[in-house]
Order: sequence, then structure tokens, then C-alpha cells
Amino acid sequence: MFDDPDALTSSDRQHYAGCAGCQARYAGMADDARAVATLLAAPDLQPDVASAFKRVQSAPAVKPRFGFSLPILRPSSRPMFVGVAAAAVALAVVATAFANVLPLFQPKTVEPVPVTVADIQSLSALSQYGTLTWSTQPQPKIVLSAADAEAIAGFKAPAAGYLPSTMSKTITYAAMPKAVAVFTFDAGKAATAAAQTGQSLPKLPKGMDGSKLTVTVGPAIVEVYGKMNASSSSDAGSQQINVPELVIGESAAPQVTSTQVTPKQLEDYILSIPGLSKDLKAALKAIGDPTSTLIIPVPIQYATSTSVTVQGVKGVAVGDNTGLGSGVIWIKGHVFAVVGPLKQIEVVKIANGLKS
Amino acid sequence: MAANLEAVPEGRTRLVKSREDAFEALFKSEYARVAGIANRVLADPHEAEDVAQEVFINFHRLHSASAPFAPAWLHRAAAHTALNRVRGRRRREKREFAQAPEEASRTVDPQQMLEVGEDRRVVRAALARLAPKPAAVLVLRASGLSYAEVAQALGVGTGQIGTLLRRAEAALRKEVTRGSSI
Repeated sequence: MFDDPDALTSSDRQHYAGCAGCQARYAGMADDARAVATLLAAPDLQPDVASAFKRVQSAPAVKPRFGFSLPILRPSSRPMFVGVAAAAVALAVVATAFANVLPLFQPKTVEPVPVTVADIQSLSALSQYGTLTWSTQPQPKIVLSAADAEAIAGFKAPAAGYLPSTMSKTITYAAMPKAVAVFTFDAGKAATAAAQTGQSLPKLPKGMDGSKLTVTVGPAIVEVYGKMNASSSSDAGSQQINVPELVIGESAAPQVTSTQVTPKQLEDYILSIPGLSKDLKAALKAIGDPTSTLIIPVPIQYATSTSVTVQGVKGVAVGDNTGLGSGVIWIKGHVFAVVGPLKQIEVVKIANGLKS
Repeated sequence: MAANLEAVPEGRTRLVKSREDAFEALFKSEYARVAGIANRVLADPHEAEDVAQEVFINFHRLHSASAPFAPAWLHRAAAHTALNRVRGRRRREKREFAQAPEEASRTVDPQQMLEVGEDRRVVRAALARLAPKPAAVLVLRASGLSYAEVAQALGVGTGQIGTLLRRAEAALRKEVTRGSSI
């Protein structure tokens, strides 16, 4: 009524004319609206769009953390629920950086921690402290059937017991055998990298130089619901949005072994990295048993997280801030994830109905 | 971003170029509005442009510019990113309030508040103390978005916006008064 007086119907107008209560209520609301308009007045802004665009264009592109990206997560095919996908990418960063330096890490439960883009950038500096080599390269493959995926992964593909009625019947299977990475701490490389970038990185703790972390990930199976290959033949096609309707993933829990490095050393080392937010540090410190906890980084600018119970165990539900996507991750022997452009309640329902 | 063009095989070049073109078109059509939303929160044109550029960079890293939700995502992200910046200052401002007890007995007239920059900061701090949704409703509407655009940005029904807005206005006035008497 205040914003658009013409929207009032004639009967409403008649009622208003004779109702002192409505008139008083309207006067109060109109007073609030005028006051707020004054309070929120802002100085003039005359943006130079062309030079702003140049600055944005010159921002560095993001490179895959481990030098590869899954074909189903190409930028052109993932426009909608990237808030969740970003959490998965950040998971690799934080989990390998923090929990994985333990003598033996095998997570049994999940715990969300808040991260910012700045946190991820700060943590990525860790890669300058040594060399990452794959002793068994990750080899994700798109296969034709669940049986083919099971043959690669060595376990039964998860089957959805419940799906929304509108869900696509087209399922693309991807599978990856076990992959093993070795990260070797190298004090010399860290010093060189710090000198080249001008960053002040914390000094590598004594005794860590030359120590190795062996990280085992997978095997894993990913099931993607929806037609995924409808858009690469023409320019017009590239404008189409090719969004999976649902992604279900199951993977053996990651394991880490290390030489020389102790959990305490790693924790101190991670927490000493400049640029980490107080919230992230506090969350990392608050985790009770990092040797059995899989950290789920939640990018706070894009996503929110809540604790949920899935299949009788604790899970973390992550929601994209746009309200367009959500996902849930839990550990029950293996690590499971269900992600899609769906409401959280639907995603949790699908997760609870999953048979593995 | 431009480096992608060099790194991709010829078959992918067209697709990447198309993505870049779509992003440029989106940037040109939405930048002023996104910066305006941030400026409404921050009351600082330079910082507002920083926020706007950060929002576009994040969007480009995460989404396709041809996504139908792109403007709504940008508007919402601009409001939340700017509000987060203000929230980051809250502790410092609380200390400043504590160090200025003479302000405690001051009564607030919204009309007078605009007269000094310090009071503008009080308003922004009050805005940042609101729950995220009411704060975003106020900022987006004050930035000139229609009810439908505000609803899209926040993922709620257009019919709810009027009520959300009125409640948020009352809450902000109350919060400004409370904040200035801390």
C-alpha cells in the first residue's frame, strides 16, 4: 500500500477510509518506510564500468588444486550447485592440509568448518612447501553401466530407493580406482617460493623437511542423473545450461599415512599460516578427534551448513546461498554424498533411501 | 580468465570465447546495480566497487554467465558480501562505543543522523546486526530493485516481500535507536 497505493482495491479503500486502526497502522508503517529511506541514503556512486571490467578480467584464473578436474564438473556443465561443489574442492585442500598429516587418518564422522575464499587462497600456499606426486594417478572414467562402474571401483554402486517423480531416468556412471598421492615437504622449495612471491610464509617446522605424507583416495563411483551431453556442438549450444538433476557419490574414506610428521606439528603449522580467518582457526581447534573426522569446508559466502541425521549417522547438509542447490555428506564405512538442485529436505530423503 | 583462451584446444576455444562474451555482457548490464547495492550497505563508493568486483570474480569462477539466475545471484551476493564487510567491523565499533560513554544518553532523530559521517556508520552497523534476510530486503529494495527482483534474489515469493519489507523497516529503526544507546 505504501509502495504502490494504486494496488489498493476499491473495497479495501472503503474499509481503510472508515477504520481508525488501519489508518494508525499505515501511518506507523509509512513513517518507518520514510525514516529508513533517509537512513539508507548513500553517497553518489559513478562507476567506470569499462575500467572495472578490465580489473576483473586481470584477476588470476583458478587452477585445479591437483592438476586435473573431473569431466562432469567442467565449468560449462556446473552452473547451478557450485556452492556445494566449491565445498568439495575446498575439502580436498583442507582435508589434505590438516587432517591428513596424521600418522594414520581414517575418518568415521563429518564436521563442517566455515571457510572464506581468502582462507582457501591462504591454504593453497601449502602446496609451495613441497612436491605432490601421484604414485597411482587418479583415472576417473565415464562408463556405460552400474556393472562397469562396480568392476572398476570394486564395490556395489549405490542405488536410490527414493527419487522425486520428476527425476530424469538417464544416469551417467563414472568410476575411479584407488589413487595414491605422495606429498614430500621440502624446506628449500618453500623458501624459494616465498622469496619469489614476496609472501611471508611461516617457517617449516624442524624435522618436517623431507617427510612424506601418503594420501590414498578412492575407489569411488559417481552417478549423475540427467542428460549431460546435450550441449557442445555449436555456439548456440554452448549457451545452454546443462545441469545434472542429481549427483550421488560413494567413495572409500581417504586414508593418510605419514613419516616424521606428528598431528601436533601439522596443527601448529596450519594454524600459523597467515591470512586464515579467526572462525576457521577456532573451528579447526574445536574438532575433538581429527584422526577420525572428515572436515567439510563450507564457503560461508556461498553456502550454509546444518547437521542432519542420515541413515542413523551424523551428516552435514550444505545449502547453496542462492537456494538453488543443496547436498548432504556422511560417512558410514564409506563416504557418501548426494548433491542436486533440489530442496534440502528432498536431498536428505534421497540420502536416507540410498542402498549401498 | 583471458589465459583460458590460450590453454584450450581449438574445439573448445569457441565455447570459452562464448562464455567470456556472455560474462562481459552480464558485467556491463549489472555492474552499476551490483556496485549500487554494495554502496547502499557500505556508504563508501570505493569499497562498494571493490565488493562489486569481488562478487563478479566469484560469480565467474563458479557459474556460467548465461545462467538465468545470474542477476539474482549477483544482487544477493552483493548485499551479503557488503553486509559481511560491515559485520567484520562490528567488534571494533563496539569498542568505540564503549570508549564513548557520552554517546549513551543521546536520543536519535533519523533526520539528523545523516548530518555526520559517524552517524552513517551507526546506521550501517545497525543494518549489519539485523538477520541476513531482513537486511538484504532493505538494501535491495533501497537500491531500486522491484518486489519481483528482490524476491528472486532472496528465493522467496513476491507476495512475501511487502510484509518482509515492513517488518525489516521497523526492525532497522529499532536497531538504530538501540545501537546508538549502547
